[in-house]
Amino acid sequence: MRQPKRRFSSHFLLAQAAPFMGFLASMVVLVAIVIFMRENPIKAFEAIFKFSMSSAAKLGAVLSISIPYYLSGLSIAIAFRAGVFNIGNEGQYFVGGLVGALAGVYLPMPTALHLPVVVIAAMLGGALWALVPAVLKAARGISEVITTIMFNNIGLALVNYLVNGPLSGMAKGVSLEPQTKKILPTALFGKLNGFFRSLGWKVPDYVYLDYSLIVAIIMGVVIWFLLFRTRQGFEIRAVGTSVDVSRYAGIKVQRVQVGAFLLSGAIAGLIGLQEIFAIRGFYTYNIASGLGFDGIAISLIAQNHPVGVVFSSLLFAFLKQAGYGLQLSTKVPNSVTYAIQGLMILFIVAINAIIVRAVRSLRKKELS
Amino acid sequence: MADNLLELREITKQFPGVTANDHVSFDLRAGEVHALVGENGAGKTTLMKILYGLYRPDSGSINVEGTGITIRGPRDAIGRGIGMVHQHFMLFPPFTVLENIVIGEEAHRAGVLAVNAQRARIEAIMQENGIMVPVDARVEDLPVGLQQRVEILKILFRGARILIFDEPTAVLTPQESNELFRTFRALTAHGKGIIFITHKLDEVLAVADRITVIRQGRIVRTMDRAGVTKPMIAELMVGKPVLLEVDRPLLPAGRTVLEVRNLKVRSPRGFTAVNGLSLSVKAGEIYGVAGVEGNGQSELVHAIAEGAEVEGGDILLEGASVRRWSVRKRREKGIAHIPEDRLKYGLLLPFSIATNLTLGRHDKPPFATRFQTVNNRAVRESARQIITQFDIRTPSENTPANALSGGNQQKAVVARELSAQPSLLLASQPTRGVDIGATEFIHRQIMKARSEGKAVLLVSADLDELLALSDRIGVIFKGRIIREFAHEQAVREEVGLSMTGEKADATA
Amino acid sequence: MDISFLVYFLAKGLEISSPIAFAALGGVFSERAGVVNIALEGIMGVTTLTLVWGAITFQSVWIGLVVAVFTGILMSLIHAVVTITFKVDHVVSGVAINVFSIGLSRFLCQSFFGAETQSKINPYLFPKLLGINSLAFWLIPAVAIAAFVLYKTVFGLRLRSVGENPEAADTLGVNVTAMRYAGVLISGALCGIAGATLFADKWITNMVAGRGFIALAAVIFGRWDPTGAVLASLLFGYADTFRIIFESRIPIPGQFVQMFPYVLAVVVLAGIVGRSRAPAWDGRNYEKGED
Repeated sequence: MRQPKRRFSSHFLLAQAAPFMGFLASMVVLVAIVIFMRENPIKAFEAIFKFSMSSAAKLGAVLSISIPYYLSGLSIAIAFRAGVFNIGNEGQYFVGGLVGALAGVYLPMPTALHLPVVVIAAMLGGALWALVPAVLKAARGISEVITTIMFNNIGLALVNYLVNGPLSGMAKGVSLEPQTKKILPTALFGKLNGFFRSLGWKVPDYVYLDYSLIVAIIMGVVIWFLLFRTRQGFEIRAVGTSVDVSRYAGIKVQRVQVGAFLLSGAIAGLIGLQEIFAIRGFYTYNIASGLGFDGIAISLIAQNHPVGVVFSSLLFAFLKQAGYGLQLSTKVPNSVTYAIQGLMILFIVAINAIIVRAVRSLRKKELS
Repeated sequence: MADNLLELREITKQFPGVTANDHVSFDLRAGEVHALVGENGAGKTTLMKILYGLYRPDSGSINVEGTGITIRGPRDAIGRGIGMVHQHFMLFPPFTVLENIVIGEEAHRAGVLAVNAQRARIEAIMQENGIMVPVDARVEDLPVGLQQRVEILKILFRGARILIFDEPTAVLTPQESNELFRTFRALTAHGKGIIFITHKLDEVLAVADRITVIRQGRIVRTMDRAGVTKPMIAELMVGKPVLLEVDRPLLPAGRTVLEVRNLKVRSPRGFTAVNGLSLSVKAGEIYGVAGVEGNGQSELVHAIAEGAEVEGGDILLEGASVRRWSVRKRREKGIAHIPEDRLKYGLLLPFSIATNLTLGRHDKPPFATRFQTVNNRAVRESARQIITQFDIRTPSENTPANALSGGNQQKAVVARELSAQPSLLLASQPTRGVDIGATEFIHRQIMKARSEGKAVLLVSADLDELLALSDRIGVIFKGRIIREFAHEQAVREEVGLSMTGEKADATA
Repeated sequence: MDISFLVYFLAKGLEISSPIAFAALGGVFSERAGVVNIALEGIMGVTTLTLVWGAITFQSVWIGLVVAVFTGILMSLIHAVVTITFKVDHVVSGVAINVFSIGLSRFLCQSFFGAETQSKINPYLFPKLLGINSLAFWLIPAVAIAAFVLYKTVFGLRLRSVGENPEAADTLGVNVTAMRYAGVLISGALCGIAGATLFADKWITNMVAGRGFIALAAVIFGRWDPTGAVLASLLFGYADTFRIIFESRIPIPGQFVQMFPYVLAVVVLAGIVGRSRAPAWDGRNYEKGED
């Protein structure tokens, strides 16, 4: 038997090329758009750099924005790995965020307890919102694509009702957007900026590098460990590869799918943590929307890998800032970044499909 | 020769690492049934794919009725009058017979279907050749034998004069096979030529006018039917006297490991596939299940290994009923399963060989720790050991399973199941699609399992394999075991006869 | 209930059902050819925008319609290339296109109209009939044509064969790739019409509001048959109309009433007794010569 190939063989590296190539391709498109709008591409890239990377504050902003993106991408990664197309993380974070906020408003307890409790509550809320689609899939084989999307809309309507009605925390006569009561100080997420400053990174206080960063890091490590170092994670990946083979091997397929589905919902529930617990201090259904769908894009680009999602969430955050930079300094509107994001996914999945096929036939040739 | 419908001269086709066809010359006369026999991997399928336009030969020539031609694809082939009836039908189940026949050649008026006009022509073809099928029935409602007729009508409709039948009786009942041979007669009476690919020697002798034997890519001999016997053909196919002398140590009678009592199993397609089946297998015994595909064997194995769709009766492993057991529990209790389709059921193709070798035991030590983490080192070490022990050809244990050849993939599956040290091994078509070297190896492994005291339930469409390995053979027919043979009594002709449903004694 | 109210209800229901119904018809063609197209939602969002732009720019709603159909075909072409030629998973591609559509429509809106979330008002509308957008009435001939094409023409038979067994179709000389492309592009064109029946006077972000996905539920509920899918769409549409008309009189909070079409879709899907049969190769990629 020949020497075993090293882990990071040329095939492996080639397989990772798709995201980079896709990114490059979409940058080419961006340049094309810039030129088409009769702007100087160099000026455009200068504007982008200036707005997104030129100071500690700006870099800090990118990191800050990437936190909810990361959680969103992570929630999708775990689902897609199991072959569960959970498109419902949008609704799951609106509901999860509300449940977490309620725990923050109505359950007084010391900070050391309160913080983990609100995190867990948000996870429970998110998982709860994934429950019905998960059960429908497991018990009746109903496509979760449609049910989770429906539940997005149902969830938004539900929180709208709850926040306007029974859970409203608005004082009479004060005109504010509909919101819950204020979250108790023991549950509010503090900032880590001081910590970073002591390390030499001069991040000003108006940039939100808060406890949700810790949550994101912990969840990332947990999910990575789960997927690649535990038996249950292996079963998740097996089910996502082939339900037939998994069943043959004794894996309890439905249990695994439901588990991954609920876990995905639970992590989705955390997406709104930063905005609710650090930025606003109360819950409103006007928190940033669309983060759920962004997470789908983010995970697809990262090939559903918890480590890859780190890079793609930073990328998305960077692109968002880049868009503002472009809009401020050039004629190019910032919505171009949304279009570019979408194009990027398409490029990446297409290139990835091609590469996978190429690698497979290369391997076959080598072995004969 | 003026009479030749088809002439293949010096056809050569190579794939990376193997010469599938080596200067093959073959011809087909009008009005004859010409059998092409050979083992799995001998090159019959490649040759037919070349004829059918799916492959191009590297060198050699093809003549149809005296004219040299190049076949560029299936459409081209049928345009030249070469039609193929595939082993796995190429039909559209929800469409009618009429639609199935005419798709691709539909009669129409400005794009609007007008296929009724073609109905008359189809009925004429049916009458002429004695192939009757209800034209407006949906194909999915027809029994297999009639579905095959639709396939034949498809190619006749397109003017086929050279008809290739690839293992056509694999899915037919005995009566349907006889009907098919009658159809051969009718077709050849009209001057058509039939190439009949099979490895069922009885059928060859029953219906062929000439017989060509192919072995390892080369034509061994082409001969007329007169004076040919089965042993002659078999010896030409294999290259040595056929009787497989397997070392068969006499073993003391063991305990009953598997008992199936009056089992009733529903097939996913809705009908009762296993209908009151009983059998038992002892430790150190190989029980072979012989039968034409489609008589309930797959459902039987599936019911023992996984258990879905069981409607009645019982399955006992060492005396305990497995009916309520999950797949995981069955494996824990000592059932191992070599599935009939390794790609669909047996391997996670994108994962490494090492990981695949743990499937079914991946949740137990040493592969998983008490804390549910995966012990990668144990996985790799165990894999390396198994790879060496079973001589699985792979660059490393980390190579993904989809990079291995079919034979090595099957070896990996067999290796995995045997390494689990089961008390009951379910082997379903264990050497299907596997080259000769790997086949011999797998047979040796199964015999080794037998001497180690394991009980083996062997299901195979390869009668020779069953005859060589089994201590007892049970013939399955319409979901029940209708006759059992001990190894000494098992004679090819009698077993084959039983497979057609003939019961030797009234008590069966 | 008097006649004029009944007529109003029937007409309004048709208007509200028509975007879902046209999208569902598109879904039927695509899936019958074997390609799952969940990007109907996103494509509709873009086609509605281009309808408004076309109408304003060329001062004719009919040219706007042409632009919308053309856009639908272009967008679905992306899906077709990615899934058929590059063989990416259909759901992944559909999701990607939905994301792209959201971004694209915002970008186009900002480029055409200067504002990211809503367009200018389009004064050129379709003529009204019985108080509703008369384009909705096109649904009736559309179903008839769709059923005819699918079941009574050579093209339809071959399209369906490709969705059932592309390998067999290939050996019989049917061009599998062309048929699949056709199915997807037809769904794109129908999405163009669907977008036009939505609202033609203004484009707002999120105006499609899930109708593209409800259309998918209608395809399943209607068993991949054009008539069935449209009937299912009418079910959803009329239920929604009922909700709109009687909203003020229902003692339930508005948000719950708003949920109704989505809850109905879930209930309908959950309640389908027995698995209805999708085309056998729906959602699976076909590679020529795969052994």
